[in-house]
Amino acid sequence: MNSLDAHAWLADHGDYLFRVARRQLHSDELAEDAVQETLLAALAAQSRYAGDASLRTWLTAILKHKIVDLIRRQVRETGLPRDEDDAEAVDLLFQQDGHWAEPLKPWGNPQAEAELGQLRRVLDECADRLKPVMAQVFSLREVAGMETEEICKELGITPTNCWVLLHRARLFMRECLTLNGFGGTSA
Amino acid sequence: MKWRVNCREATELFSRTQDERLHLADRVAMRMHLAICRNCTRFARQLQDMRRLLRSGGALEDETAGLSADARQRIETELHQKLKP
Repeated sequence: MNSLDAHAWLADHGDYLFRVARRQLHSDELAEDAVQETLLAALAAQSRYAGDASLRTWLTAILKHKIVDLIRRQVRETGLPRDEDDAEAVDLLFQQDGHWAEPLKPWGNPQAEAELGQLRRVLDECADRLKPVMAQVFSLREVAGMETEEICKELGITPTNCWVLLHRARLFMRECLTLNGFGGTSA
Repeated sequence: MKWRVNCREATELFSRTQDERLHLADRVAMRMHLAICRNCTRFARQLQDMRRLLRSGGALEDETAGLSADARQRIETELHQKLKP
């Protein structure tokens, strides 16, 4: 490989890597950092690229580690979201006796690709509205499919905090999705 | 050991099944609740739908969003620095 390669990597895969990173980091700035760090790391490690995986697959594997590194850094710098706010928001979803405050509307069952594309956009928008660390932990689990235990360990969060973040993120996401089209005009 | 759970507790239990295997007693309590509660059955179904949609990210290949011109330039510069002899 020669020095031209890294520039070609950016040209050929930069946008794709950015989209993958953006979906898990929920910040343009952090996603740009992730792409940059990935390409620099790939450059340093290019002799280890065996060539048996596609270049994109190899770069994406490096990106995954960089995404986790960036989230870890973020957790260290800003800490976890303020607990009381989220606890109050959860309280509003339930009555005192633990019943749901409002009945849940069913979601439609979309099949058409155009409809699915629209729903994916709503999903991304709803996740972007969660607090940063909550959104990131949620996406590591639900988008990237990392094991919960591994997420806690990698980010240095206690299992309890980690689980509470995930559960609240799911509750908030479900609300947001129901309010923004999943409740279905087209069910 | 608690065999009867309310909706709030049942959603917590179901959410947990998305991350780990529950103890038998919790599993039984959750299933008993889901069997009689339409809201929580919907909740469970929706969490599964959400995960399925989020993990079927094939659309990323075709989407048009990408790096801004500024970011691209910045990264080019970084790579260039690194490549200098």
